[in-house]
Amino acid sequence: MDTILELLLGNTLTRLVFFPTIACLPLLFFPRTGKAAKTYTLIVSLIELAFGLLYLFAHLGSDGTFPQVGDRRYTWIPGYGIRYDLVMDGISMPLAMLGIFLVPIVILGSWKGIEKHWPAFGASMLLLTTGVLGTLLAYDLFLFYVFWEVMLVPMYLIIGIWGGERRIYAAVKFFLFTMAGSLLMLIGILWMAWTFQRLNGGVWSFAYTDMLRLDFPVHQQVWLFAAFALTFAIKVPMFPVHTWLPDAHVEAPTGGSVILAGILLKLGTYGFLRFALPLFPKAAEVAQPLLVGLALIGILYGALVAWVQDDMKKLVAYSSIAHLGFVMLGLLAIDQIAWEGGLLQMINHGLSTGALFLLVGMLYDRRHTKKFSEFGGLAKVIPVFAFFLIFSTLASVGLPALNGFVGEFLILTGAFRSLGWPAVVATFGVVLAAIYLLKMVQLTLWGPITKDENRELRDLSFRELAALVPLCVFMLWIGVAPETFLKPSREALATTLAEYREGVERAEVSQATLRALRATTMISETGR
Amino acid sequence: MTRADLISLLPEMILSGAGIVILLLDAIAPKLRRSFTVLSVLSVGAAAWGAYEAWLSAPGATWGGLLETSGATYALSLIILLATALCLLASQGYLRREGILAGEYHALLLWCATGLLLMLRATELLTIFLSLELFSFCLYTLAAFHRRISIASEAAIKYFLMGAFVSSFVLYGIALLYGATGSTRLAEIGPALAVGGQGMPVVASLGLLLLVAGFGFKMSVVPFHAWSPDTYQGAPTPFVAFLSVAPKVASALVLYRLLDAVVAGGVAQAIEKWTVVIAALSVLSMLVGNLLALAQRDIKRMLAYSGIAHMGYLLLALVVMDRDSLMPVIVYLLAYVLMNAGAFTVVAMLYSRPGEQHLISDLSGYGYRYPLLSACLAICMLSLGGIPPTVGFFGKYVVFLNAVGDGLVGLAVLGVLASLVGVFYYLRVVYVLYMKAEERQPEGLLLDIWGRTAAVVAAVGTLALGIWPWGLVQWLLEATAR
Repeated sequence: MDTILELLLGNTLTRLVFFPTIACLPLLFFPRTGKAAKTYTLIVSLIELAFGLLYLFAHLGSDGTFPQVGDRRYTWIPGYGIRYDLVMDGISMPLAMLGIFLVPIVILGSWKGIEKHWPAFGASMLLLTTGVLGTLLAYDLFLFYVFWEVMLVPMYLIIGIWGGERRIYAAVKFFLFTMAGSLLMLIGILWMAWTFQRLNGGVWSFAYTDMLRLDFPVHQQVWLFAAFALTFAIKVPMFPVHTWLPDAHVEAPTGGSVILAGILLKLGTYGFLRFALPLFPKAAEVAQPLLVGLALIGILYGALVAWVQDDMKKLVAYSSIAHLGFVMLGLLAIDQIAWEGGLLQMINHGLSTGALFLLVGMLYDRRHTKKFSEFGGLAKVIPVFAFFLIFSTLASVGLPALNGFVGEFLILTGAFRSLGWPAVVATFGVVLAAIYLLKMVQLTLWGPITKDENRELRDLSFRELAALVPLCVFMLWIGVAPETFLKPSREALATTLAEYREGVERAEVSQATLRALRATTMISETGR
Repeated sequence: MTRADLISLLPEMILSGAGIVILLLDAIAPKLRRSFTVLSVLSVGAAAWGAYEAWLSAPGATWGGLLETSGATYALSLIILLATALCLLASQGYLRREGILAGEYHALLLWCATGLLLMLRATELLTIFLSLELFSFCLYTLAAFHRRISIASEAAIKYFLMGAFVSSFVLYGIALLYGATGSTRLAEIGPALAVGGQGMPVVASLGLLLLVAGFGFKMSVVPFHAWSPDTYQGAPTPFVAFLSVAPKVASALVLYRLLDAVVAGGVAQAIEKWTVVIAALSVLSMLVGNLLALAQRDIKRMLAYSGIAHMGYLLLALVVMDRDSLMPVIVYLLAYVLMNAGAFTVVAMLYSRPGEQHLISDLSGYGYRYPLLSACLAICMLSLGGIPPTVGFFGKYVVFLNAVGDGLVGLAVLGVLASLVGVFYYLRVVYVLYMKAEERQPEGLLLDIWGRTAAVVAAVGTLALGIWPWGLVQWLLEATAR
């Protein structure tokens, strides 16, 4: 009990992860209507943001690097060596901060759009925050799995209760797709833990660092990698397991879409970076051509499908597939620069796509439609809205001096260095992104006002500005001074890269030894 | 008869005595009927104390080796008593609503628990058979307890006819085993199987097969499952909370004992054959249970098929029998009791027409009308689906870990794929509760404090043991260590 209090009261990761859950409890007693629940959730999320910043600045080095820090480790289920182990390092820090940062924005963005059961919505959001942060910070595979699944239920509820017409279909599809992958990952995790136990005389462990030291033979690595990669590929989502995403995005309420695109999808790419690649390096190398191919298909396919959409939200949803394809390309390039770009692009996508979904939602709040044919000429009616839409679009397209450019440039540079031609193919994706995103701007903002309903639209309110301005500030900041955001992660990425390379070497050495051993046995047998 | 013999029977004596007292009270002072719930729950508590006392003061063999008390039997006794208590708590509201509140119900339930506790600890086949009959008769009667509705009688008749048939299977199996080995004691049967050189005698194999069929029937494992959906549908719902869990708990342990005897025989061929048999039962149950549950519109039938699937997961732990198999079985059974009994408890309260179908869609929008009960039901459903942090997930985790450790990765993968199907229909209940608009006004519901207590206990237990399973595991590891 003392340790729990100590963890919760101190400036710890535990407080960061579990404060939202604890803060959920009072929501049970809030009235179902009225402002109280909204305000309360907003305050909680702002406190959480403050906790996040406190933690960040307590550990951020004066030279801008971020060390590996964590709470004290506790044994959770000793018989199986399952530990409660939260660690933040340069890879998880930016994503965790993005997650914490997005929650108040999502609450502000849902202020009008969510009309019923606000206490439940707030509770779902806060529980989701716990799930996301736990997944990012868990350093024990069992703990990671638990948080990974915990995320599912609140998101399922958010889509299913507050979503659009086909919300139940979308919610169930989301749940089943994610679950399908993660159950196979569970078997993979169990297999690893069991192997560890066998090699270490009955001592169990699920610890990440212990799992890194397990060198599986290549044929086993391939299966384990397949289980992990499938899970994460579904979450990213990569072609061809992406089909849940458009449904989920289109049906989810604005807040759900923002949190889904902003942070949940990143957990898939984070999973590759943290688990699938370093844990099974040799298998990853074997699968690299296939995965790079899928990432490229994702980039081009996502872009082409986005191009032909007649619905703003669908367009942004498919653009997510294309953008996440870029991130995956960067991660699969196995290259320092590309990884830095990939990680930065995860943040960028969270910011710019988050902003786009918010803007679509704001338009929907006003007109209850997302069809392009209903709009046109809005720039004259709501100029402030137009400014933010253009700003976010340009950031998403990759205009220099905004964030998207930096990420894409680094990814393409790194990918070209290590992969060659796939980077060239991916470049077409950048061109296509410009085409479909500018199409969106053109169809909604420019041209004559075709519908009379659009003449009377209100421009952005103070609340809506409060949600958008922070996002845009960061888009500009990253675009102008990317080094501030790249530096904290550099060392952690380099370490992971070194681990990956060592793992490949070890696997090659053991393969060679095995071959030599077989050869000697054959010689000795023929000799006899 | 020694003092230890008497102490070892303490829980059974308490339960059967309380049953008689309640029956007498029912005749003498019918006005006290409302208090029978408290009385019987208290006696269940006393029986739990008795079980503890028996474990503490009279561990090991008693009654000349007919009974054996161990940590595992103590743990499973508590699980059965938990199921009994949940059922008793859930029943009062139902019985009052239907106007059939009577002492027989409580008495029969307590006697049923007596039989189950006895069977848990019996190490001799005839004792096992007698206790099997004792609890089966109570179950048949209770299944027909709601006399006025026809499907209750139908349920009971189906259950009774098949059960009687299966009892004769069991008896025949015992006879064959006795013929082959010259003993009805499991401890002697095992070694005797190995005698005689090559492999297991055909007669003994046949006998074991009949016994496995018998207990497979009680556990409703495919292909012995056909009775369970019909019986669950017709039987009083709070009683189904008991029927769907408690007999399975005791039967699973007997099955474990039988397989243990085979392993003790040490005939490699025979062990291999039984591995295949159990694996087949497990796979069939997982697949058939989950796929048929998918097609159900009636929540009781859905839970019946899901229960079949859960027994399939449970059997995964018994495919490769070793000393590690018992712990996962016990953990899984506890998880199953909490979540399944919890689900039936809520179902018993939220449906007011026992003679009609219990359509899942009738729950539409109840999430906001009955937030507490709906939350309990949703938690139980998520736990049945194996989603952390619930005890259902932890149960699946230990079972699958055991399977992976025994080298059954293929079976484990099959298991998780089957449970993915399960997630789909469990989620249906959750979305009907929270995501659909209310379709019809509920009427005639009686949500009493006891029923609510049972639902909350089950749901909180499901969550608490899911978040903090260590205390339980630690204790079980110590208790089951031989």
